Parts: sequence; structure tokens; C-alpha cells
Amino acid sequence: MKEKRLPLTVIGGFLGSGKTTLVNHWLSHAGGQRLAILVNDFGTLNIDSALIRSNAGSTMELTNGCVCCQIGDDLSMALISVLESTPSFDGVVVEASGVSDPWRIAQLGRADPGLFLDGVVVTVNADSFLAHWQDPLLSDTLARQLKAASLIVLNHCDLALPHGVSQVRERIALIAGGVAVFETSHAQVPLPLLSGLSLPASHAAVHDGHDSHMDCGDEAAAHSHPHHPGNPAHGEVFETWSCHPTPTFEMIELRSWLKTPPPGLLRLKGFVQTSSPGQETKWHEIQLAGRCNSVSQVIAPIAGAALVAIGLCGHLPRARLSEFFERISV
Amino acid sequence: MNTTIYPARKIITMNPMQPEASHVAVRDGRVLGVGSLQELASWGPYTLNEQFKDKVLMPGLIEGHCHLKEGSMWDMHYLGWFDRRDPQGKVWQGLRSMQAVVERLTQVDASMTAMGKSPTEPLIAWGFDPIYFGGERMTVDHLDRASSTRPIVIAHANGHLMNVNTVMLQLAEITAENEVEGVVKFSSGSHAGQPTGELQEPAAMFLVIRKIGTAGLLAPMTEAGVKSFASLACMQGVTTATDLVNKLTQQDCDVLEAALADDACSIRILPAFQAFHGTHGAALGAEHVKSLMPRNTDRLRYGLVKMMLDGSIQGFSARLRWPGHFNGAPNGIWVTAPAQYEADFETYHQAGLQIHTHTNGDEASLAAVNAIERVLTRSPQPDHRHTLQHGQMIDAPLFRRMARLGLCANLFTNHLWYWGDQHYEMTMGPDRANRLDACASALAAGVALAIHSDAPVTPLGPLFTAWCAVNRITPKGRILGQSECISVPQALRAITLGAAWTLKLDHEIGSIECGKRADFCVLEDDPLSVEPALLKDVRVWGTVLSGKVFEARKV
Repeated sequence: MKEKRLPLTVIGGFLGSGKTTLVNHWLSHAGGQRLAILVNDFGTLNIDSALIRSNAGSTMELTNGCVCCQIGDDLSMALISVLESTPSFDGVVVEASGVSDPWRIAQLGRADPGLFLDGVVVTVNADSFLAHWQDPLLSDTLARQLKAASLIVLNHCDLALPHGVSQVRERIALIAGGVAVFETSHAQVPLPLLSGLSLPASHAAVHDGHDSHMDCGDEAAAHSHPHHPGNPAHGEVFETWSCHPTPTFEMIELRSWLKTPPPGLLRLKGFVQTSSPGQETKWHEIQLAGRCNSVSQVIAPIAGAALVAIGLCGHLPRARLSEFFERISV
Repeated sequence: MNTTIYPARKIITMNPMQPEASHVAVRDGRVLGVGSLQELASWGPYTLNEQFKDKVLMPGLIEGHCHLKEGSMWDMHYLGWFDRRDPQGKVWQGLRSMQAVVERLTQVDASMTAMGKSPTEPLIAWGFDPIYFGGERMTVDHLDRASSTRPIVIAHANGHLMNVNTVMLQLAEITAENEVEGVVKFSSGSHAGQPTGELQEPAAMFLVIRKIGTAGLLAPMTEAGVKSFASLACMQGVTTATDLVNKLTQQDCDVLEAALADDACSIRILPAFQAFHGTHGAALGAEHVKSLMPRNTDRLRYGLVKMMLDGSIQGFSARLRWPGHFNGAPNGIWVTAPAQYEADFETYHQAGLQIHTHTNGDEASLAAVNAIERVLTRSPQPDHRHTLQHGQMIDAPLFRRMARLGLCANLFTNHLWYWGDQHYEMTMGPDRANRLDACASALAAGVALAIHSDAPVTPLGPLFTAWCAVNRITPKGRILGQSECISVPQALRAITLGAAWTLKLDHEIGSIECGKRADFCVLEDDPLSVEPALLKDVRVWGTVLSGKVFEARKV
């Protein structure tokens, strides 16, 4: 059985859509997580110099324990050095270049037993997307990126007219189907949407067997900071669902459910008991983010079976989750 | 003030004022004069060196687009479809069947064992290209026949794929459960669902790279590799070559400077700084290149900048204009976004540096021309000589725009031979394949022309490259675009003065005339008298670099 696997998140999106801002935002809200951030170029990372502990050419150590590495032209080698460093990291974030296909990079999250793919976040510039989309040199590249996303961050909404934002949303829906879209500005995305690490631990989130946690604010609000009404970056809300599933799940059935999760489910993680024909019951950890999912065998968790899910407020498919994991038919 | 006068059977000078001569006088590594013995003797005392009296001298050949890796590839084992010569001068026969590949691997495995190498040391090979094997794919079934104990790793010629044997799969823990999209699995048969050993793209290759580390494929440039390159160059009559992507880290510069400080190293190198993949912000990059230029010597010239827009045509990753790929494959990829390219280009351009841009597909070439036109409108720069490299699908109208902008073209004519049939049958289709590397259109439009091998993608050898441009013939006997054939003198100019122009060195090299470097390509045969169809077979004796004579290695 493998030891702890590192979640790998890919941040993709065209030039000027806010990838680096999102990386900076993540870094400054890492909250004790030790992240390895692989970026194309330090030049654009705007890290407060007070946060930089050391800068040795292609590696920058931050005072919060995170490390930024410059990819150069060899992501594999950069990733190998992350995997081999001690003490180990809590997660890896790869910032893709503005024209690369994040889905290809995301395959790296499936390549190594020491990693799992925790999501592909694609940033979109609400103000310039339609102009880029109309450029025949770029439309196929943009479509490739959007189709790869487990979450689309529709950024720079403050620069776009409301009408423009809804036009972009319509276009995205045509290209990428029902993928979740989070509207914001300055890449202010609540961390639980970006990272499984930031989801409330499933056992802790569960009270009295069943829990329905509505976080009616952004993550800042959740940490008792004041609201910023009227700012579109803070208009969105996410909600969570969790349970202690009692059934044992057929592996084939479980995998097939995870492959086509119900629309609106952004993330799901936790531990369940599984069975396969002719084998004894096992424990598996589930990690799902959009089209990315992984199932890995683990030792029996002390707290038993537990799952937590997250979605945008009003969109989380609670009934479908309960139907499958709690066998509650609706 | 020693003067040496070399008589030769013929001297092809590339100087129109005096196209041919019988003698050349050399002083201080430079050409003192070209003419008859009597004319040259009037300069005063001289030594008559008759070692080239039966040879033909040309200006030292110039490869405007290749990579030093051509030298160190030979640390691995060659499995290509075509014959190829190694730095020792040995010709390795091309392998035309999977069986031949397996036999070569079996021999290599046996010789590794005989040399006392550990049975677990991986066998790493290069140059294999499945595009020539019709639909047949290499699998573990082939490679396990070569060895069931030694890990085998075969890097494909295009750099995006590899094949490994079962031992390597096990070592890398690549199993049926691996969900990476590029891990190819048997679709039927007794092994259905098991990996075939073919690994596509970096994620699939990751676990292998993690096990074998920087052995082979990712090995850094070494002094020995540079010297192997120099000996290959000497065999091909090349005295000046680019290393047309180099990160120019401290380590890279140390290796280049040490290797090229050695007088026995028979090559002049122009490394081009890798100005893509975000190794530096453009402004920092330009500063870095300029800071290196004061360290230039005769044999090492910093100052070139390399940018990259798209992928490759035969890899279906080039950016093409309508109607796209002949076989319906989707359009390729941007390595750099056109807008980013324009911004970075402008920074390097304003720093006064010369930029070489990789554009294979015609949409990429068009994007480059559009961007450069805007940059030049905003910041005109006399004599910039920015160059499009590969430019394989550029047509006459685009060449005419390039001429107006002062852009040079360095076309990849070796493709006409190495992938000409595949371009006709798969990538471009008939008609469009005929304008692949359209040298005649470039010259007709008035574009300064060079031609290249992109070694190690294809073997270094400018006379072969010239032969491709002259004959435009494919292995299956097709002539791709008769009207794009150029003459032998035009082709010889493209591998001497033409290439020198694209490197801003035409005042110094590229022809044999007074004041220039004494760089010669020493030939046994006269390229102007042989049948044009035999240009590739002209024998090279060796070279002279800045007056120093180098005889090519022979087996």
C-alpha cells in the first residue's frame, strides 16, 4: 500500500487570464500547507520580498514553507525533484504556459504512484475571452484548455460588462458543457474549490451522522472577515455535503459513478469500503474533482467511512449524492 | 608574418569577381589572396603547401540550423531507418524492419555484456521512427526478444514517444492499472489491457525518466559531446555551425568555452539563446545574451536568439493554414502564443539582437511575419536579418512579404528526402507537398536563403542538404515540385555565403576572398562537375578552420 500521495493541481488558461494571480492568491492563503509551486517564470510572480526566505536561481523558498520552482523546459525533471525532496510536500501546483494543453500536463498527476490528480483549474479572462475566441489562430487552443477543466475560474469580471460576462458563460457552456464556472475578479477563489487539501476533513465536517454545511460567504467570510458586498469576487458561495456511508461499494460501480459524476459536484473526497468479486472487503480513498478522479487502497481509517463534497451554492447535487452513497432514494 | 600558399586542383571561391582559382594564400588564419602562384608570390616569402594540390577547395561549409546534440546522441545506440555515420566515421546501416531493430538490439545487449557492463544497466537507443513502418507498432513482443533481463529504452526520432521492454515496464512500475492517457495498451489478444511498452508524451514517459534519470536522452552537454560534434562536422566539411537552442546557463557556457578553447576542436559554434519556455523574462534574457558577447572568440560566438512558435509537420504539431492536415488530424500547437511571441520578439529586437524563429507550418510562419511586420513598423532597425527557421510551407506571397521586411529564410530541405513521401501521403497531400521548402520561390522573391539539416533530427551534411534542394527527390522516387528545384551553384551558395548572411557573418566567412577567415571545405571531387544527382556523394577530405588543417576521421 502506497504511503501518502501528493495531490497535483494544474492551473491552465490563456495569457492574461490570471493564472499567476491565482498562484499568488493560493500561496498567500496556503494556511500552513507546504506546497511546491512549479511556474514557467519567476519574472511574473509578484511575491512580497518579506515572504522570500531564499532564492537560489531556479528555486525560491518562502517563509510559509512553500517552495516555488521554475520549470524551464522540463516539467518531468522539476516534478521528480519535488517528489524526491525531504521533508515531503503537502501538494504540487503546476502553472501551465498560456498556450499549453493543461490536460496533457494533468496526465503527470496519474503518472506516478506518489501523485494523484486533484484538479485542472482553467482561468478565463471575462473581458477579453470573446475577442480571443474569434481569433482563428487561438480558438482551438482555448477550446482545448476549457475542455480540460474541472473548474473554470471566470476572472476579471470587474472589467467586463455584466452582459459580457453572461455571453462568455454561454460560450464556455457550448465549448465545455456543464463544467463548473466560478465568477470572480483578481482570482479570489475560495481554496476549498481549488484544492482537496482545503476541504474540511470529512470526519470533522460530519455532525450527528449527517451534515449540511452552507457556507454563505467566500472563504474570507468563513474565516470571519467582513463581507465585501457588491464585489463580484465575493458574490459566489459554495456549499458542502457530507455523510458516513454505511454500504460497501462494488468497485466497478464506484469507478463508473466517479467517471460521470452528477453535474454541479465540484469535489468529493473521503474513505469508503469497497468490494470486488471474489475478494475480501477493502478500504479505498476517493478523490474527485470534475473529470479527474482517483481511487486508491488505504488502511482502514480510524473514523470509518466518511465523505465530503463541495459545489457552488444551489448547484451541489445533494440528492444524487445521497442516492448513491447513502442509498437514500428520492 | 608566415604566409602559406596552397595550390589546389580547383578553388570554388563563391566570390563572383573571381569564381575559380588555382591558389590561395593564407596568413594569420585569414585569406591573404586568391589567384595564380605568381600573383600570390608577389606578397613576399611564403611556404608552398601542396597537400591539397589534387583536391577541390570550397569555403568552409556553414550549417545555420543544427544542434550540438548531434555529437552526443552517439552515446546511445542508433536505430534509424536511414544509414548514418557516427563521430568515429563508422556508418551504421539503416534498419528497415522490426526484426532488424531486434537484431541490432540483441547485438548491443551482447556487446554490453561482453564489455562487463552490469546486466541491469539500461540499453538506451535513439533514432527509431515508426512513421516508416506503415501501421506496424513496436511492442514489448519485439523488445523482449532482444533482452528479457536488461531494461531497454528506445527514444523515437520525434522526441515525443518511447518504447520500452517488459523489464523496463516492471522497473518503472507501469502496469495495466496506470491511467495515463499516453500509456498504450494492447486492445486485444492474450495481453489485452496490458501496456504495449509504447509511451506517448512526457507523462507516460515520466516513470521511465524517473528510473533512468539523465542517462541518455536528457544528458547535459559535455566537452566530449562538443568534440564529437566537431569531428562529425569535419567529416562533412563544416567549419561553422549553430547550436540553435541553448539555455546558456553557467554550466553550458563553461562547457562551450572549455571545449572550443582547445585548438584541436575543429569547429566554430554560434549558440542561440533559448528565448522561449520562460527561461528568463525577455528583458533579462536579452541582457544575459549581451553580457556574454564580450566573451566571444573566433570559435565561439554568442549573440543569436532562438524563439519558437509551433511544433513539427510530421508530428502533426505544426500550425497549418487551411485546409490543414491531409489526413484530417487537428491543427497543431503553439509553443509560444503569437501575442507573447510579438512582445518578446520586440524586446530582443530592440536590444539589437538577431532572432531566429522556428516556424514549421505556414500558419506559424504567417503569424511570425505579421508580428515582425508590426514590430518593425514600431521600431525599424537597419539590417536586422531576423530569420525564419524551417519555414517549410511558406508560399510565394509570404516569401514576397518576407523579402520586403528583410527577413531571411533557412529552409529545412532535408525533409524533402527524409519525410517527403510522408508529407505527400499523410501530412500535406499531393500539390501542397510540392511546395515544401520552396527554395526557388524564396530566391525568386529575393529572400536571403540558407538550407539546413536540424541535426540530430536529420544527419549533419550540407552537401546532402544541397542535394535535396537541387533534386527534391523522395525515397519512393517522387520529385516534389520540379519548379522549386534550384541549381547546384545556388544550393552551394545557400550552404556557404547564404548561411553566413543569416548569421551576420558574411563579411567574415562564406567565401574564399582576401580578408576573410581561411575556412575551407576540402573535397576529393568537384561539386560543380559531378552530376547534380550525385552531389550528395561528393567526398569530403576534411576542413581548414582559420588556417588550421583538419583531416576527417576515416574508418
